[in-house]
Amino acid sequence: MGAVDITYCQMLQSGGIEEGPFDVALIEGAITEEWQAEQLKKVRSVSKFLVPIGSCAVCGGIPAIKNTSKKAKEMEQKVYKDISNLTSLETRPIDQIVKVDGYVKGCPMGERDLTELVISLLLNKQPDFLEYCVCVECKLKNNICVLVAYNEPCMGPVTNAGCNALCPSNNRACYSCWGPIRDSNAKALANQFTKMKLSSDDIFRKFTEFGQPTKEFEAGVK
Amino acid sequence: MVDVNKRIDVDYMARTEGEAAIRIELEDQPAIVLKIFEPPRFFEGFLAGRRFDEVGDIVSRICGICPVSHMSTAILAIEKAMQIRVSEQTGILRNLMCSSQIAASHLIHLYMLAMPDYYGKNSITELLPDFQKQTDRLIKMKEILNGLTGLIGGRALHPVTFLPGGFTKIPEQKDFDKILKQFKEIQKDAKEVVLDISRFKVPDFYFKTEYVCLDKKDGYAIDEGRIISDDGLNISVDDYYDHFEESEVDYAFAKRSRIKGRNYFMVGALARINLKYDKLQTETKKMAKEIGFAVPNYNPYLNNLAQSLEVFDLIQHCIKILETNKFKHEDYSVKIKEGDGGAMTEAPRGLLYHWYKIDSKGIVAKANIITPTSHNFLNIEESLKKMVKENLNKPRNDIRLMAEMLVRAYDPCFSCSVH
Repeated sequence: MGAVDITYCQMLQSGGIEEGPFDVALIEGAITEEWQAEQLKKVRSVSKFLVPIGSCAVCGGIPAIKNTSKKAKEMEQKVYKDISNLTSLETRPIDQIVKVDGYVKGCPMGERDLTELVISLLLNKQPDFLEYCVCVECKLKNNICVLVAYNEPCMGPVTNAGCNALCPSNNRACYSCWGPIRDSNAKALANQFTKMKLSSDDIFRKFTEFGQPTKEFEAGVK
Repeated sequence: MVDVNKRIDVDYMARTEGEAAIRIELEDQPAIVLKIFEPPRFFEGFLAGRRFDEVGDIVSRICGICPVSHMSTAILAIEKAMQIRVSEQTGILRNLMCSSQIAASHLIHLYMLAMPDYYGKNSITELLPDFQKQTDRLIKMKEILNGLTGLIGGRALHPVTFLPGGFTKIPEQKDFDKILKQFKEIQKDAKEVVLDISRFKVPDFYFKTEYVCLDKKDGYAIDEGRIISDDGLNISVDDYYDHFEESEVDYAFAKRSRIKGRNYFMVGALARINLKYDKLQTETKKMAKEIGFAVPNYNPYLNNLAQSLEVFDLIQHCIKILETNKFKHEDYSVKIKEGDGGAMTEAPRGLLYHWYKIDSKGIVAKANIITPTSHNFLNIEESLKKMVKENLNKPRNDIRLMAEMLVRAYDPCFSCSVH
């Protein structure tokens, strides 16, 4: 195609070279089966760069909500009568299985970070991913803070930017679909939610909607 | 022992959404297995315990192509369960989102997933540079269609303004005016889409099935109406469980649906066009005539052509709505109420059903989701069987390609079907 050739992508094309080698492997989705973990390790071994794209791959995302279930079998039985052929494991993001070379965050993944990644790889430079919280984007847009001014339980202070503060700009609290920002103070935000009279169940739900397997949001749940 | 020479294995169905394989046994009575190995995510399991107003955001992630369908079906079901009434304007805005999403989804399927087969190519990129005009058209139209979904929803994929009760923000009129202008510009492109797809040399194949879709008195039903079929079904969505049943199979993580006491049936664009031809826009019917498409039509390969007619029709439909409506901010607050309820909409691929039981604190107690590909599952297998049987004398590679093309024609979403 020119600067970029797509050598293997079943959703886009028949055939392709499954065994690699690849300059860049973009991985979407979380890992929930042993065979996926094995396939991922193989892909890692034949790729120069490997980058998870989208929240499921980056931080577990929505499919990781299932990790919150204390009784996995009971949860599975809500979906299937016969669970004898299920081999589903706890949901894990990509970096819990192999080394990664960056993250394209978001659900859906951020266009800006994806473009930044591809251009950086072509220019052989370090990609400059957005690494600050949604609050910064709200300030840049002159949004009124929905947490402080309207008492909305906003996850913006602990959530990675990239959406251009989409939810607060549309009169609602951020629900963290970009996943946690590194070094976030989830504990402090959880305390604030308690002060705002959110129940512990509500706070638990806030911190497990998109980042259950992450240590950052674990602090919010406790 | 199975003779391996009499077997065709497609280990990974390319150019479909999600992960599935097909196994075909080339016997006088061919055996077909559609092995949907996409791993389960257990949405119905983990939705229990989540708040009613989180459900739309969560279920939209079942699919990256039809998030609006999952979101709107779930929200309609929750509103039914909690007895929430929404304004007429909310209904109109939701319809615009559903309509624009269906057209955008169809375009992706037609050009990126289906078209390469008809020109002996592996992908849309291989069709370049010969198909540069078509590719440009796809991108331009997709952007404008997504533009409307995104204008109302905040973003086209996984919208954020869309909650039980209504919308958190209503766009300004000047933005609606701008998108209306763009929609008018792509009317002629939509005509070209129908012509592009009508050039596909579709296998001559007849598969009599029961077509099922939503229908309402006036207009082409997308997100409301009764469930009807060409075999006499005419029921309220509330009676869905009395007439449809799902069962598990040991080779797929998706469940297979059938009409009780009957058999396979088909949902999606071809079912809709067959049953609701009269309710298409006049311009669409003219277009159908021009390309020689008449109903009833029982060739599932022509689901692609039906999709292209819907693209044309839905763009006209959106233009008419945008021309005749002005939108204003409205209250969208709701009161929590215990109850249960189900709802159905036409997703791009056909009938989608969501059902929820909500407790007195607004927490989901139970959830059930039945997707278009579960509804079509048995029909895909049965039509494959018939097609293979009629083509046993052809070379294996031809049978293989025709089988893949048939599955693709349904525009299946295996990830949705497992969810």
